[in-house]
Amino acid sequence: MILTPEQRWECPNCTHTDVTHEANPHTRFHPCRGMKGLTAPMVPAGTKCKVEAHEREDYVAGEIVQTDGEGRPVMNLITTRDDGQDCTVFAPTATAFTQ
Amino acid sequence: MAWSASKCFQALFVSTLNKDTNVMDLDADTFKAALFDNTITPDRTVSAANSAYAAGVWASGGVSDASGWPAVGRNLASVTSSASAGTYTFDAADTVSANGTTTLTNAYGCLIYDDTSSVAVADQGVCFNYFGGANSVTSGTFTVVWNASGIFTVTV
Repeated sequence: MILTPEQRWECPNCTHTDVTHEANPHTRFHPCRGMKGLTAPMVPAGTKCKVEAHEREDYVAGEIVQTDGEGRPVMNLITTRDDGQDCTVFAPTATAFTQ
Repeated sequence: MAWSASKCFQALFVSTLNKDTNVMDLDADTFKAALFDNTITPDRTVSAANSAYAAGVWASGGVSDASGWPAVGRNLASVTSSASAGTYTFDAADTVSANGTTTLTNAYGCLIYDDTSSVAVADQGVCFNYFGGANSVTSGTFTVVWNASGIFTVTV
């Protein structure tokens, strides 16, 4: 009999919660109203942490970047825990134009 | 010089349109995303040979974690290659480190390359994506969320 572990998730910036049943390591994401609509990572329920958005450090210069609900280009979300730090990077789209 | 933009390699189109030997198959091959620091200056106009992983500017400046995100990169999963309304899009599921204990320092961007083709040019580059600054992770999970517009697009 194969047991499927239950993982409860919560968001430190809004009230969203979720439950997954996945054996492999994974992170749950959700559109977070506390992070101005960004797709933000959730953390295992009960985890003490903070999640912060960081703006792009360079000019946008025509790049197709991720923006938050206020139109600011966001480079990443950093989740800081007592025992480490996670990083969620929003990669811009590479382009080629033939027009 | 350093990273400044996210671009496709012109050699991708030359190789494909000229039907070079063992040219990459965008909807069937295995692709990897390898991370790099800000000591390199990616150039979209280089030859196919110099767009490859471990060649040209991609021969140095790698950012890696032996088990979490190795130097050769992480595989792209659920790759899609399609076109609609005059725009071709290459996309994949978000790419995540192999474990929750990954440590990476100052990843400024990534090289997407074909890990399947090996005859004409091994590990030929597809595109490079500039994150816009330094990204680090300490004993945690590193996730690259690909833009809703895809990993790369071509507008015709």
